[in-house]
Amino acid sequence: MTNPNLEAQHINLTSLKQPAIHSLTGVQPHGVLLILEEATLTILQASTNTSALLQRSPASLLGQTLDEIFDSFQVDRFRAGLAEENLDFINPSRVWIRRKGDDYAVFDAVFHRNGDGFLILELEPAFTQQNIPFLSFYHLAKASITQLEATSNLQDFCKIIVQEVRNVTDFDRVMLYKFDADGHGEVVAEEKVDEMESYLGLHFPESDIPVPARKMFLSNWIRIIPDASAEPASLYPVHNPVTQQPTDLTLSILRSPYHCHTEYLHHMGVSASLTISLMKDDKLWGLIACHHRSPKYVSYELRKACEFLGRVIFAEISTREETADYHYRMHLARVQSALIESMSEAESFVDGLMQSEPNLLDLANAKGAAICFGGRWTTIGQTPSEEELNYLVQWLAKTVDEEVFYTSSLPLVYADAERFKHVASGLLAIPISKRSYVLWFRPEVIQTVNWGGDPNHAYELQESGNRQWLCPRKSFELWKETVSLNSLPWKPVEVQATLELRKAIVNIVLRQAEELALLAQDLERSNAELKKFAYVASHDLQEPLNQVANYVQLLEMRYHDQLDQDATEFIDFAVEGVSLMQTLIDDVLIYSKVDLKGIEWQLTNSETALNHALGNLRGRIAETEAQVTYDPMPQIVADGTQLMQLFQNLIANAIKFRSSTPPEIHVGVERQEDTWLFSVQDNGIGIDPKFSDRIFVIFQRLHTRDEYPGSGMGLAICKKIVECHRGTIWVESELGQGATFYFTIPVGGRDYSHAIGQKKNYLPRRG
Amino acid sequence: MRSDRRKTIFLVEDNRGDIRLIQEAFKSTAIDCDIVVARDGVEAMEYLQQDQAIRPDLILLDLNLPRKDGREVLAEIKADMVLKHIPVVVLTTSRNEEDITKSYDLHVNCYIAKSRNLNQLFKIIRGIEEFWLETATLPIPF
Repeated sequence: MTNPNLEAQHINLTSLKQPAIHSLTGVQPHGVLLILEEATLTILQASTNTSALLQRSPASLLGQTLDEIFDSFQVDRFRAGLAEENLDFINPSRVWIRRKGDDYAVFDAVFHRNGDGFLILELEPAFTQQNIPFLSFYHLAKASITQLEATSNLQDFCKIIVQEVRNVTDFDRVMLYKFDADGHGEVVAEEKVDEMESYLGLHFPESDIPVPARKMFLSNWIRIIPDASAEPASLYPVHNPVTQQPTDLTLSILRSPYHCHTEYLHHMGVSASLTISLMKDDKLWGLIACHHRSPKYVSYELRKACEFLGRVIFAEISTREETADYHYRMHLARVQSALIESMSEAESFVDGLMQSEPNLLDLANAKGAAICFGGRWTTIGQTPSEEELNYLVQWLAKTVDEEVFYTSSLPLVYADAERFKHVASGLLAIPISKRSYVLWFRPEVIQTVNWGGDPNHAYELQESGNRQWLCPRKSFELWKETVSLNSLPWKPVEVQATLELRKAIVNIVLRQAEELALLAQDLERSNAELKKFAYVASHDLQEPLNQVANYVQLLEMRYHDQLDQDATEFIDFAVEGVSLMQTLIDDVLIYSKVDLKGIEWQLTNSETALNHALGNLRGRIAETEAQVTYDPMPQIVADGTQLMQLFQNLIANAIKFRSSTPPEIHVGVERQEDTWLFSVQDNGIGIDPKFSDRIFVIFQRLHTRDEYPGSGMGLAICKKIVECHRGTIWVESELGQGATFYFTIPVGGRDYSHAIGQKKNYLPRRG
Repeated sequence: MRSDRRKTIFLVEDNRGDIRLIQEAFKSTAIDCDIVVARDGVEAMEYLQQDQAIRPDLILLDLNLPRKDGREVLAEIKADMVLKHIPVVVLTTSRNEEDITKSYDLHVNCYIAKSRNLNQLFKIIRGIEEFWLETATLPIPF
């Protein structure tokens, strides 16, 4: 994994045993650490490397006051500084110690008080040539900040920070980590020498920064390990002589890192590291981590400069982040109002949400979304299958009572979701009603993690004696285990946006339901009027027509001898025209009578209906010597009269469009899963397949009336009857090959009618 | 003999064309009979309920009439103790099932849909005449 600077500890996953941070008493050997009793500045403990750096053994320092090491001028300054509230006034102080004759050692001295109230003085060797003059630093910082101000996006901003930190410190690699709400992190910016591996864009687990380490980052904003392979110096004596306990070095600069940590660095080929904490609202927002392949010492001053840079710059990041948050909120608000507008304009709110730009996905930054409304699914992006969605909604209906439900680990609460974790480890759901939902999905987060390099490469769990420690790659695997079945979390602002959308949908649905009810009323009224009209038309239109026909015929009958051939023909045409008009009126009447409301659902013997139809066609069957055969016919739930009409029209059609041979017609039926499939097959002239849809359209004719008489409504009536029964009708045919008309009738009759509020009973009627 | 009596047919029909056509059809038959015509339901009932009116032997009734509908006329005839014995044949353009059922509910003696073919119409009229005036035995009008 990618978080080498951090002490790795994963208590529940491995048997890593690490001492608590306050009991670590190793000291990095490049500096000297002294533990003092503050009132008298008496030395209680000293790091064992004093011989090398101060030319005095630790034993010789015990019980001495600082006056023994520093000249009185320096000690007076310490006393004055320690009397101040804030130790920053004396931190750091450039101090010197005479080792021998004119041999002075120069140090940066830093004081702090630990949790037990002891004063700790840390002395780091000062290297004058490494000090950066204040003005240079000022220019650097100013240049950076100016550059930053010109940058609008957070990504670029972070990039500039790592560039600047690398400029100032000259580390081989500088990275900026950002933590998310769950504590997982991501490398968002990186600047490095070409030879070093890139970690940019990689995620790393929360487990890599255990709680004690986080605490330390909170209190100790800058951490340096100049040489990860240096053997730490211990304290002399090991235990604090006052408390008889290890002295708490949590806030120490020189305290040695965990062994695990140094191994970590070692495995990554890193010898020196510097870490700067980025804090926001007293929480660890992120880190700037610097790596160097060889040991590298960074002076206290420079570190302070980096810390300062970090703070100043980070203040700007915070602002930027807030601005970004604000912009995101505004963005969501814009998406939201666009959606609401398009919903109210679209015919159905579902279309409005799915088809507009921006669409539903944009409202919650989701990869997939689905709407269940009126028993139908509409989806966009990547979603589970409709079957899975149906189960999911059933589960939601049972489980969820709130106006919004969201989780970034759906499989943990709904085990079946593991099957589609790659599209929906995260779910955000708003119920519109018990049966209608809007759902948003996010994929498992591992899917979105970038992993550079070869994942099978080198680093693993290391073991040495009875100690174990995590190494980068292995740690990534552990993390994958930890975060699997998780999506990126839903932001509160996203949840809020969906809640507001819900309100809008509910309003629109209510309004549409109201409009629909009104519309249904109007429709019912106009339907009734239409029926009345149809009746009147059939009667009142027929009457004058009959009259024309009758009188023309009477004319012919009575004056036959006085008419020439032209007159006789004219009369024939008049009669023909009237007769066609009469047929049309009859058919329109039949067509208008077929509607959903008019259907008498009942258990019908389809053989009776067929026989009735055959009876009506008796004359034509005899005339054409047609052979009609049929399969045993089932009992079905349908309107018997309409079914009869259907058979009659189809068989009449088969007879009408006969070829030169006598018609052979077979009526078949077979049971399919949910439907009865009927067929009427003939050996007639057939239909060109390109017309196979057109023939069902009202008044569509493929032949002249001279060839085949008729209104062109027969099949339109058939189609309407079948559709009112919730079935489908189609034809399969080739020219000259005969034709087979198929139609289906649902076995259950009419499940739909319950949904549309009809209350007719389709059980056999009594009496 | 009463049977030699000239028969009277009461035709209730608003359409002039149809009246003429029916008259023509009766003319073409062998039996000579009188045809009394009423042009709407009100007129029909007024005629039937006159004291001195000749009781017709047969009523041919159209259903869709102005002022008083054929169905009402039928209902009133069949509710009238005297008139209900007169056979009523509904002769109408309507082939509507509701009309057919309703007419029989109201005790029509026979429902005939007017044919669209002249020859057929003549046949129907001949049939009516033959059956109702010659074949069927009817109660004697006083």
